[in-house]
Amino acid sequence: MENSSSQVPVTVLTGFLGAGKTTLLNRILTEQHGRRYAVIVNEFGEQGIDNDLVVDADEEVFEMNNGCICCTVRGDLIRILGGLMKRADQLDAIIVETTGLADPAPVAQTFFVDQDVADRTKLDAIVTVADAVHLSTQLGEHHEAEEQIAFADVVLLNKIDLVDQSQITGVKDRIRKINPYTKIIETNRCAAPLEEILGLNAFSLDRVLEVEPDFLDSDHDHEHDDDVTSVSFVSDTPLDLEKFEKWFGNLLQTHGQNILRSKGILDFKNEKDRYVFQGVHMLMDASPMGPWPEKSIRNSRVVFIGRKLETMNLKEGFESCKSD
Amino acid sequence: MNNESVIKSRFEENGKVFETGAPVTGAVSIENAVAVGFGDGSIRFFWPDNDPLEVQAHSGAILSIASSNDGVITGGQDGRFLKISTNAEVEEIYNFGTRWVDNVAAYESMVLCSSGKNVYIWSDENDKPKILEHQSTIGGIAIDQNGRRIAVSCYGGVTLWRLEKNKWKSSKFAWKGSHGKVGFSPDGKYLVTTMQENELHAWRIRDKASFAMSGYPSKVKSFTWAGDNPYLVTAGAKEAICWPFDGKEGPKGRKPLCIASGGQQNATFVESLPGEKAVFAGFRNGMVLLSELSEHPNDVLIQNPTGSEVSNISISPDRSHILVGDSKGQILWSPLWEQ
Repeated sequence: MENSSSQVPVTVLTGFLGAGKTTLLNRILTEQHGRRYAVIVNEFGEQGIDNDLVVDADEEVFEMNNGCICCTVRGDLIRILGGLMKRADQLDAIIVETTGLADPAPVAQTFFVDQDVADRTKLDAIVTVADAVHLSTQLGEHHEAEEQIAFADVVLLNKIDLVDQSQITGVKDRIRKINPYTKIIETNRCAAPLEEILGLNAFSLDRVLEVEPDFLDSDHDHEHDDDVTSVSFVSDTPLDLEKFEKWFGNLLQTHGQNILRSKGILDFKNEKDRYVFQGVHMLMDASPMGPWPEKSIRNSRVVFIGRKLETMNLKEGFESCKSD
Repeated sequence: MNNESVIKSRFEENGKVFETGAPVTGAVSIENAVAVGFGDGSIRFFWPDNDPLEVQAHSGAILSIASSNDGVITGGQDGRFLKISTNAEVEEIYNFGTRWVDNVAAYESMVLCSSGKNVYIWSDENDKPKILEHQSTIGGIAIDQNGRRIAVSCYGGVTLWRLEKNKWKSSKFAWKGSHGKVGFSPDGKYLVTTMQENELHAWRIRDKASFAMSGYPSKVKSFTWAGDNPYLVTAGAKEAICWPFDGKEGPKGRKPLCIASGGQQNATFVESLPGEKAVFAGFRNGMVLLSELSEHPNDVLIQNPTGSEVSNISISPDRSHILVGDSKGQILWSPLWEQ
């Protein structure tokens, strides 16, 4: 692995057509003077991106390793990111604009699966631009809209001047239900501070430590089978490393397709270090992250975002990992 | 890595080192020169007897380079497909705008390139390119020894195009997965591709019998052919892995030769020494070894580790010089033989 300073950060912009992706893109490009960006756009994208390094891409989703679900990657990204790394000029960042109907998982998985991509670039964050007027309808109608919220590190809730406060509250609740730890920024014309969109390092394991969602056990009463929801659990009893590995490995293997994202901080019995993990479907990054800070509460916290979470016996599984 | 205790190789002692500052992205022989493409869009011609000549050609990296009968052809990230003569004349064959020109190839006066999912072919009589369409973005293109067949790799396998009665007819060689670089065996009987997975795939063209060559610890980014057998020499492992392609079945069920074993890291580029049973292997740390195609090879050190991945090794057309280029833009240009 190269050290992280030589890895070019990649920000992924998702969101339905008309939500404001191009507006945001142009804000980023015009406001960040003196920084050099490459922008990867898709063939269905809106025109008029104001940058001298725009690369056209077809969103080519590839299955690797004979079709293993977690090895579905964006082949065009592997090719283009590889090509950009051959340039003599140093890029400050790369921004990938996806089509409105794109599933963000293959984009994220590309950074786990392809060694060259992982060596030279790093996924900085997935930023989803949502239309405050239409998001609720879109969430009901399109899987992709839910996925884009589920994967988002930041949701830019755009066009809030077109809705009233109760509608804003309603749509925010909806977003929180899918993804309790995404950051929601309310905007008009995507006027958000750029430091809240770029350079977030949201996929690094240290950032998992900052995750403090509302640790509530979601209630599943009103949800449709296919809705994306989230659940989280806390344990003050240290976990047993062996039991956890067995349960979690098995869980991802059998239900990885329906678990969109997972994150957690773990306190294992007889281990002085904190363990942190974060995953996308079946792929996972995990590492000890140094000792627990003094005065901090040692406990284990996990979050799952996905579909059909209620069928996975997550609570029982997590409880069974507690050490005796 | 300017460690003073490092003993320089004869090639480093006798050769010249150029720090160009731009990654070496490809190189090809033309007339009596080696033409090198760089990540800043420039081309440099290296001659045995003269100083190198630099030509600023593209803006953005050169993605592919090949030699045609009257100049080097290049495809770039600026969407331009260019021909550059050895006296620095630049001619634009076509401009694809914001689409990259990923691959180029030539046979006599026929030049072709790929951009996106299409291959564009220019033959001498015609100004308008002939377009061959494919189902996904093209990973690699190759022309056979007679200029009658074109192999195009993309997701799902290779499309082999044959020129029959002035029409290009296609036939599909399918294998699941994403295919990159493609090449014909020297006898024209096999097709080989590098894959997104850490392996290569090959087909016997006659009956489309196919097989994988796997077991690599990293992606195979480079292959070449060497020896009379011939052997398919491949990068991607700590040694140069050489698969025997003689006999009816080629390497099927046989073990490869593993040579150039002195590298500490995975090989990133391989090149044969024309006319000899010998192979150059460049490694991720910049080291380059020359090794014999045999069970018990002797290795010769060409270049000590530079700290940057070897991205090209080329031999001058008169076999007098070797060029080694790396991903940070260092070039070693050295006489190949004792003087």
